[in-house]
Amino acid sequence: MNAPAMTQAKPASGATSHVTPTALISGTFVTRDIARARRMCEGLLGLECVEPEKGVLLIRERGHEAGGKLAGEPYWVLEAREVTQVEVPQEMLNHWGVFVSSQAAVDEAFEKISAQQKEFGLGRVQKPRFRYGSYAFYFVDGDSNWWEIEYRTPELLYTSLRQKGDQVDPNAP
Amino acid sequence: MTTASLINPDLLSHGTLECNDTPATRRFLTEFLGIDVIRPLPEAQYLSKGGAWTVVCVRVEGEQKEQGPQNRFKLAVASAAEVDAAHVAATKHKDAYGIRRIEGVEERNGIRSFRLQDMNKVWWEIANLTQKHYDDAFARGDYKH
Repeated sequence: MNAPAMTQAKPASGATSHVTPTALISGTFVTRDIARARRMCEGLLGLECVEPEKGVLLIRERGHEAGGKLAGEPYWVLEAREVTQVEVPQEMLNHWGVFVSSQAAVDEAFEKISAQQKEFGLGRVQKPRFRYGSYAFYFVDGDSNWWEIEYRTPELLYTSLRQKGDQVDPNAP
Repeated sequence: MTTASLINPDLLSHGTLECNDTPATRRFLTEFLGIDVIRPLPEAQYLSKGGAWTVVCVRVEGEQKEQGPQNRFKLAVASAAEVDAAHVAATKHKDAYGIRRIEGVEERNGIRSFRLQDMNKVWWEIANLTQKHYDDAFARGDYKH
């Protein structure tokens, strides 16, 4: 789409934005089988899950529990909701990702996940490859949700990239 | 949950969304939603608001995929009043930022929120959430079946 005329919409003087969020706190997706989604998130992806109410699954990385190595640190949450039908099937460009600690860990993950593809009800598991400096592969779960297992060198971690700022003109198309 | 898993990730690291007008999308994200954005690649912008995770905005040619509200990203604001103010701002600046749909404000279990669909057909929820909300949910454990 063409860029809308923005000038008259800019925040009032002194404000940096109309909304002032404290966090980009979570992302959501749907599943037709919350038990299956939980098995995958815990048993395959190694994430922590809880079902606070029927039909809702919360997911975060491990270690944030009281006394855990990440206790008190901020984290991102995925919220899965159980539905009878996935109304908007997802595609690879709409995926969730986890970081692992090495290139070898990506290869090992690929071997293990490929070997247990049926047990976890997965669809396609793509082969690892280098892309934009990271090494990663994708797979799709039984609800069309895509997942990426990725390794990034320290200089390519998001926190490092933020310190560098824009590397491409933000006004370029 | 500490049982063995196939992988042991360091971080639940990212989600993704699509856009086909990078500069216009950035104006919406920064000016309206107040998200921090960097562009490390011609094909992608990285969105964040603290934390080690990000949402990757990938540039696509042609039409973006139409998402449903079941697949969305949540932004936390500090108070219920800020949710209401964001709703007013979204309504006022809907056309200027290419906002496609704005749902009504709802309140459930003390969480006030509303959802909007942006120019990229991506859904956002703005809610007076804090991490304590999730801390408490994980600490309470599973509901009683």
